[in-house]
Amino acid sequence: MKEIVLPDTIPLLPIVDPWEQQDAEGPDSTKVYQFYKNLSEGKLTMQRCKKCGNVFYPPQAMCKYCNSTEYEWEEIPKTGEIHAFSALLLGFPMIIENFAPFVVAVARFGDYPKNGVQIIGIMFDTDYRSLKIGDRVEWEIMRIKGPGEKVRYWYCFRKV
Amino acid sequence: MRNVAIVGAGITHFGRRDASWKDLVVEAGKALFDDVPNLDKKDVDSFFIGAAQPERWTYQTHVAPLAAELLGLKPRRVVARTESACASGQIAIRYAWLAVASGLSDVAVVVGVEKMNTKFMNLSQTSMMNVGNREFDTAVGLTAPPYFAMVAQRHMHLYGTTEEQLALVREKAGEYGSANPYAQFQKKITKEDVLKSRVVAPPLKLFDCSGITDGAAALLITSEERAREYTDTPVWILGGIQRTMANSINEMGELSDWLSLRYLAKDVYDLFKITPEDIDIAEVHDCFTISEIVEYEELGFCKKGEGGKFIEEGQSYIGGKVAVNPSGGLLANGHPLGATGVRQAWEITMQFRGEVSEKRYVSGAELGLAHNLSGMAQFHHIMLYSIKKPKDVKFGR
Repeated sequence: MKEIVLPDTIPLLPIVDPWEQQDAEGPDSTKVYQFYKNLSEGKLTMQRCKKCGNVFYPPQAMCKYCNSTEYEWEEIPKTGEIHAFSALLLGFPMIIENFAPFVVAVARFGDYPKNGVQIIGIMFDTDYRSLKIGDRVEWEIMRIKGPGEKVRYWYCFRKV
Repeated sequence: MRNVAIVGAGITHFGRRDASWKDLVVEAGKALFDDVPNLDKKDVDSFFIGAAQPERWTYQTHVAPLAAELLGLKPRRVVARTESACASGQIAIRYAWLAVASGLSDVAVVVGVEKMNTKFMNLSQTSMMNVGNREFDTAVGLTAPPYFAMVAQRHMHLYGTTEEQLALVREKAGEYGSANPYAQFQKKITKEDVLKSRVVAPPLKLFDCSGITDGAAALLITSEERAREYTDTPVWILGGIQRTMANSINEMGELSDWLSLRYLAKDVYDLFKITPEDIDIAEVHDCFTISEIVEYEELGFCKKGEGGKFIEEGQSYIGGKVAVNPSGGLLANGHPLGATGVRQAWEITMQFRGEVSEKRYVSGAELGLAHNLSGMAQFHHIMLYSIKKPKDVKFGR
């Protein structure tokens, strides 16, 4: 009988890695590369259109209000307010299961919606029973190490 | 536009099935063919299959020709797989309706299917996460339960909705689901059972959530001219539309306001010249108990904020103002994403034909509404089904 042999291990499929798209290798890999560069430099940013002045988030390569492709990256105000929160206690996705359970919160930063954003973040080492709507939170940059030598950046929230 | 009817329907058992994706397609197809013994498969000119993530759960893409072949169909007019997460099935029906109404197609088969239980349940959770803007919103581990939990928290915060009111939605689902032999969860669940169940994402507990489910359903859809060849009891598709106004968390604003559904429902009532009071059966998307409560409000069955009271007063039970989810809904049936919208049409068809258990039969029903939401409630979908033949349906202003 003919036999073929497969390797002992098969590398992690990028489709199950939640930060695969954030493994931006350079300005040519995504038009919102600057967002990731800002993260790695400690800044969480939103875009402001140079033509119409509107703020938009999530990052994208065109102002959806006036179709301009000229925009600036502006740091999101550091402190915001919890709009809603819960916690993921059961049913963890792959990869995420390595640092679950955790609190998830939707918080508003700046003068939302006109001059601010409503974004979602994880809160580590936080008991959801200690939180309430309206609590103040800060975003902070989080470093994601691995798999292997990979280093990537994202953000999370911390109660203030 | 031509009148369009559902002239046959079939369904599989829903649940954690010892069956492959292809087995489920075949099982639903066979149930449909058994329901319409007069069907000559050569007459099926169009085929639509609602399937949300076969490439993730079954590693199979390009599923329309595959499923058509499994069912022995050689469609020659419009053939498509439709994907819109939890609403994939309803969209397949909408496309079939449009194809037949336009005159392009005469006889169409619709299948909705999902195989979600695999050896890697954590992969299933990862796949579900992708229905949001993966890169910016859901990469943090935002699956459906915490999102809908936040909707519930906001609703409680603004309107005083209680965990007991949410639990009543599950109790009702269990009451009707226990009379549905195809449902995944046929056990009656009391309000207390719900409140005592394990917390998944506070304030939502295990019984506040629908299941991870395998299942499929199928319909035969034809023009009015062809309907009588197959059945004496056609169910008329009045039609339906969809609406999305926002996708990312940043654009959603107040999480407990489902504006896309509010405006969609208004448009549906205007377009089809009906009011919420005309609806006898509503099969709505109760992926979580809170969803059904928000849907009572946004569909106009009660005022905003009064959804909790609406179920407490028994208004959404059979015999109430409108029978909501007499099938047991997603909570009792389970929610195989692509199959759900087709299952809802199957339910309304069986209700109109009087072929369901007395315990969940909505007697005298003439108009049915099916609603789906998809993803994190960013996208809403409605179809209307009627026992009465439509007259002069014209769209446009």
